[in-house]
Amino acid sequence: MIDQGIKSRPTYDRLQIDRTGLRHLLVVDAPSYPSGSLVVEAAELEVWSVASLESEAALEAPPHQNRRSFRSVRHLLDRLGHHLKQEKMGLRLYAAGKESFLWDVYSAAQGAGMDKREVFLSHFGSLARRVHCVHCRTFNERVTTTIVCCEGCGANLFVRDHFSRRLSAFMGVKVDAEVPGDVPPAEQAYL
Amino acid sequence: MGVQFKTNETFRNEFSYKNSEAAVLRFPFPFGEDKYMYSVNMEPHVKNGACPVYEHAFDVDEHYVAECRERALVLEGDPKRCRVLPHMMPAQWDTLELIMESLATDYPEHFSLTRDGSDWHWINRPLNIDQRFVFGDANTLPYEPLEYVTRQAQGDFTLQDQRDHNLYVDGGMVTCQADWSLEFDIGMSFHEWHGPVPLAHDIGVFDRALQYLLRLQYGHPVRRLNWTMTINPRMDTSPENYPDWGPDRTTVTAENVAQKVHLRVELQTLFRLPRSNAILFGVRCYLISLEDIERVEKWRKRLHRVLKSLPPELAEYKGLTRYQDLVMSRLSARDDGATLSLGIQPDQSSLTN
Repeated sequence: MIDQGIKSRPTYDRLQIDRTGLRHLLVVDAPSYPSGSLVVEAAELEVWSVASLESEAALEAPPHQNRRSFRSVRHLLDRLGHHLKQEKMGLRLYAAGKESFLWDVYSAAQGAGMDKREVFLSHFGSLARRVHCVHCRTFNERVTTTIVCCEGCGANLFVRDHFSRRLSAFMGVKVDAEVPGDVPPAEQAYL
Repeated sequence: MGVQFKTNETFRNEFSYKNSEAAVLRFPFPFGEDKYMYSVNMEPHVKNGACPVYEHAFDVDEHYVAECRERALVLEGDPKRCRVLPHMMPAQWDTLELIMESLATDYPEHFSLTRDGSDWHWINRPLNIDQRFVFGDANTLPYEPLEYVTRQAQGDFTLQDQRDHNLYVDGGMVTCQADWSLEFDIGMSFHEWHGPVPLAHDIGVFDRALQYLLRLQYGHPVRRLNWTMTINPRMDTSPENYPDWGPDRTTVTAENVAQKVHLRVELQTLFRLPRSNAILFGVRCYLISLEDIERVEKWRKRLHRVLKSLPPELAEYKGLTRYQDLVMSRLSARDDGATLSLGIQPDQSSLTN
């Protein structure tokens, strides 16, 4: 069930600095992302990452002019949206992290008028999915199983491989719609 | 004298929808051969075709009033079934113009459009609508232009924006769909929204269809037929409401199969729009019961052969697996294996019982 044969899912490459850019900003949802090789490629690379105030990473990370740390993904995305509105042509935006994070960043970039050739995405870390319930439109976060109980309507949703970049989410469809109660066991597939 | 509308039909609850004998004989039966597989089966949308429903840009039939009422019911429960991204406003006006002009030209006894510069006057007699508005000024209509005009049209519509050598589904009115969600798919590229379709990607159908459509020209619309099956004459088989109609698939028995199972055919039409350069995609849905198909000898035999040779992936994707055998065993009893004519025409001018 892991590969459902759906061809439209995004694929991701390793990040590389796009030399046609004048300024470079990397945003990551986990401080453990190895950004070293990118910094070697572009010393001026700015790195924004998420490290909660409680975490050791936040305490241990030495202050650095090109690095910023945010309390949460939400905090980072809000700041990014604000920042991109003031940016000028020439910025190259890089994102690494969970798939839902990547397309949230992409939406923020698109909202600020950036072209898809100016944004680079690379999956890093957990395969956990954001799942959009097609019946009640609730978003279910950090789903790691093939079937999940919707937080909004309680339906047991099968996680289809159909992915919306706009919603940054996979589609969830009631697995027992035809025969209510006939719910197959869920598999831990997206850790 | 125009079309005689059946104004009391329903597509839910008691399902009183029925085709008249004339409607059965003009049904766009989708199988020209004894086998079916995905292909880029597009042809010019011109009047001389194998089927009477090809005679007008937008076919209006006896179900028009009932289908418009059904659409209003769906929208009342879920307004998001009509959504258009903000940059598509020129395409909305293009659509309104195309549909109004076509209906007024093709069915003057039912619709009329009078234009005085940008002051337009639209009359829709079957729905009792008399509307004056300013073309280009959305504030002079009770809904945005796409919603306004497609509340008065049969079938679903989507708007495709063309950019980066691709098509993006950036808007639509989708209330009678075969199991796809506009709210989920809006904004997707051509290959993304076709992602779940099996087999066709591997044989290059979508690559070729996209290349073809990117070159679609104004004034030269194209069409194709697509099909699936639906239990009961239900228009709204959306993924949103799958919990409502999914259980129907388990209700088919040898006794009721001919009444319950319906062939669902989509007449898909594509029009290049003049100002926006977008493409209007019309998906007109026709439903016919197995019982009525059986009244056309060629169609009942051909449907049997198509189902018998259908790749299992397609049957699964179209959701036929729970009742396909019941349909086939019913049809096989009346298929003698005789050679059938090529093409979709019924080869008879009245129905047998």
